[in-house]
Amino acid sequence: MDDNRFDEVIRDLRTFDTPPAPPLDEMWTVIEDAHFNAPVPISRSSGMRSPAPWLAAAAALVIGIGIGRYLPPGKRAVENPASPTAVASANPLSPTETSAVADAYRDQTNRYLGQAAALLISLPAQGAPGTTDATFASKATDLLVTTRLLIDSPAAAQDAKLRSLLEDLELVLVQIARLRTEKNKGDLDLIHQAVEQGDVLSRLNSAVATTQSSE
Amino acid sequence: MNETQLIARVIAGDRLAGRTLYDTHAPRVYSLAYRLSGDAEKAREFTQDTFIRAFSRLSQFRGDAAFATWLHRIVVTIVSNARRSEVRFSREVALDEAHSIEVSAPQAEPDLKECIARAVDDLSEAYRTTLIMHDIEGYTHAEIAGILGVPEGTCKSRLSAARAQLRNALAAFKE
Repeated sequence: MDDNRFDEVIRDLRTFDTPPAPPLDEMWTVIEDAHFNAPVPISRSSGMRSPAPWLAAAAALVIGIGIGRYLPPGKRAVENPASPTAVASANPLSPTETSAVADAYRDQTNRYLGQAAALLISLPAQGAPGTTDATFASKATDLLVTTRLLIDSPAAAQDAKLRSLLEDLELVLVQIARLRTEKNKGDLDLIHQAVEQGDVLSRLNSAVATTQSSE
Repeated sequence: MNETQLIARVIAGDRLAGRTLYDTHAPRVYSLAYRLSGDAEKAREFTQDTFIRAFSRLSQFRGDAAFATWLHRIVVTIVSNARRSEVRFSREVALDEAHSIEVSAPQAEPDLKECIARAVDDLSEAYRTTLIMHDIEGYTHAEIAGILGVPEGTCKSRLSAARAQLRNALAAFKE
């Protein structure tokens, strides 16, 4: 087989046994079912108590440990010399451990920012049915725990932009969490105003992009 | 809405954003899965697995490569793993059959297409994947390098070696 013939064979490979049209809808049904319809551990039915508080506590513990370990050893010792954490910090983290903790922290921040963005985007307009308000209020309450932990973290102290965003988010989330009570239902308009005036959504998107690109 | 925003929404459980992301990438993922597996049903399963795995790990997406690159890396890994299992299985079956079948039926002379398909299939996994992605699916060396996690130079040398092997395999073919 000469060069020309071989080149022809290579070119023909593209038209040889071309893929059929992808069954997009059929595949999506399976994907949607597996990912989006998978059983969710948190029940939102009104008759059952939501397990969100213990989930939040667990998340807080994980973030707390991560952030605590992320602190420079010297700083931890000075802040609370008598604490067991300070004693533990006498052994500095290896670069691999520091990197792993930083990665875990970034993942957590990223996930949090994504959830906050989704909540704000899906926030209904004024006058939407009351049942959805309770759902949003519940989500906002869950996110508030993480917000406070992130605000108090050393990473937020080093990143003024992130800290400012988290503080604005905290105010908005508090307002959303208050939607649970009937007398605060008129606050939706104020919440939308606060989001718009603080340019919270675009800052959130920008923060998501930043944390992802820094990974 | 850009891809980063879509990803953030999928992480938060937005299925519409998931569908948008899927519609953007599924055709090319399916096409590659089909070329690598040579079977429409398998391509469908591999594509489904790719997106299910990608969505479940979306929060781990590091953003240091394009989302498409990350997604294609998943499909290539899934297909490679499946092929490895198949090869292992077919070897075991072949060994079993060798004990029971002593005389095989004479094979008809294969045509060029069959020869090419067999020659491509006989390439090592790395050579085969590189050849299919570059010469058949039209990926650039930079894209392949990103997806396979190898330097571009490695990618070029693999393609060159794959073509050489293919040429040798087809050398004896009489038209």
